[in-house]
Amino acid sequence: MASKTRSRRSRPSPRRENRLASRRLDKGVARYYRLYELLSAALQDGTIGPESALPSEPQLCAQHELSRTTVRRALGRLEREGRIVRRRGSGTYARPQRAVPRLCFELSALPESLAALASCTTTTVLQFNPAPVPAPLRALAAELGSTAYLLERLRCSQGEPLSLTRTYLPEAIGLNIRRPIPSRASVMMMLDRLGPPTAMVSCSVGAIPADAAAARVLEVPLGSPLLRVRAILVDDARRLRAVLESLCRSDRLQLKMTEQPQEAAGG
Amino acid sequence: MTTKPNKGAGVSRYLRLYSVLSQALADGRFDTAQPMPSEPQLMKDYAVSRSTVRRALARLEAEGRIVRRRGSGTYARRGSEPDTAPEHSPMLVGTAGLPAGTTSRTIAFEHVTTPGFLQSERPAFGDTTLLIRQIRYLQRKPVVLASAYLPQEVGARLARRHLDAKAGAILPLLATLGYRSSSLEREFAAQPADPLAANSLGLAIGAPVLNVRAVARDPRGRILAYINFSYRPDRYEARTSIEVRDSSRYPTGKRS
Repeated sequence: MASKTRSRRSRPSPRRENRLASRRLDKGVARYYRLYELLSAALQDGTIGPESALPSEPQLCAQHELSRTTVRRALGRLEREGRIVRRRGSGTYARPQRAVPRLCFELSALPESLAALASCTTTTVLQFNPAPVPAPLRALAAELGSTAYLLERLRCSQGEPLSLTRTYLPEAIGLNIRRPIPSRASVMMMLDRLGPPTAMVSCSVGAIPADAAAARVLEVPLGSPLLRVRAILVDDARRLRAVLESLCRSDRLQLKMTEQPQEAAGG
Repeated sequence: MTTKPNKGAGVSRYLRLYSVLSQALADGRFDTAQPMPSEPQLMKDYAVSRSTVRRALARLEAEGRIVRRRGSGTYARRGSEPDTAPEHSPMLVGTAGLPAGTTSRTIAFEHVTTPGFLQSERPAFGDTTLLIRQIRYLQRKPVVLASAYLPQEVGARLARRHLDAKAGAILPLLATLGYRSSSLEREFAAQPADPLAANSLGLAIGAPVLNVRAVARDPRGRILAYINFSYRPDRYEARTSIEVRDSSRYPTGKRS
């Protein structure tokens, strides 16, 4: 490392990475919220363990160069969320968190996990009609063309919104979908009753900020992080069955993938 | 049940609108030849004020991602999409998956008391743990912040200098020391960036990150590493292909 003095100078030191220094990037992010996210992460990763004390208000003020009001707003929000308790004359303590039960979806066991999801959730059809295919999905599966049947559904668990899924079906398939659309079955289950079964699903998982439409139906603030799962369904002759994009609330749905690396399997 | 009043508070409306439009531009949702939605349209769609819309557009304009033509409208600029990293989900399990131009920087390498969440979820970890934090770059741009927790027995074999090899990828490195992963469980979540992730990845605090919690096990089922990855979502997507085994086995399926 000593040989890299030049490059090291231009890099922030590890300690500074944890600081709440004002950055151009954080314009538009309230100061209290920066501290809130910092403490929130420390509570989550165990840096501040359950029942242990948080730094005092004056300490937080000095450490992060923040006013007392700002520090109090951050602590106030954590307290309202039930993540800390403030004891008069004693201090602020981390509250042990009970794990919130979430639905679990295992991507690597597809037919089973879809069936499990279908058994405990219901969907509402928001639209089912021919619609232009958005450019990013067209780029994933050119066979779809520029117009396809769009099935848009909101999936809920006990009345709480879970995911918003837009499925684009090639015209020949879309025309054959029987109505009414079942309220539980996944798209793959519906398609498999109509023709050659889905043999392979190519997925990508990313994170995006909720746009106006997603924020409204999923009941989250505009710009909140959502998981985005895109999937291309093909039959065993590699013919396209459907392309779908699902926006999911991470706080309600646990998305998992288990892999057995091939290297290990081969060796 | 804890209440979460107004989870969007703390991040200004203009920044949230900026972030949503920025995503739409990155996805190529706006044709470069057609004007983007007008200011009044955006005000209506997002229920925000004119000045909020203008601040968001001004920031995109300053970044060179849109052009505003007087009397004509606002247009997406070609090439305004940020570079996305090529597919590299195997980066976790093999060096073959690490694209050329990948480098990493280790920002922490220390023995720590096993954090509470690991003790409760994974009792096999013991009292102390080796914590390694790294930022990985592709073409010098930050892609991921990884915090790896290794059980003491595994961590004891690893020295900081080892991290220079294999662009710092922990699992391939462990494999060279005889700890080969035979299974990898990953859990995906979309989360707001905390200050450490935001600073490491060049994002605003609260911006979406793709969080991946991974547990690697050896052939005997012992945990080799627990790694928490925070990916910059505009530079990384996890990809996989799943063979659907015998799809005639839906419990409720009536095939006609």
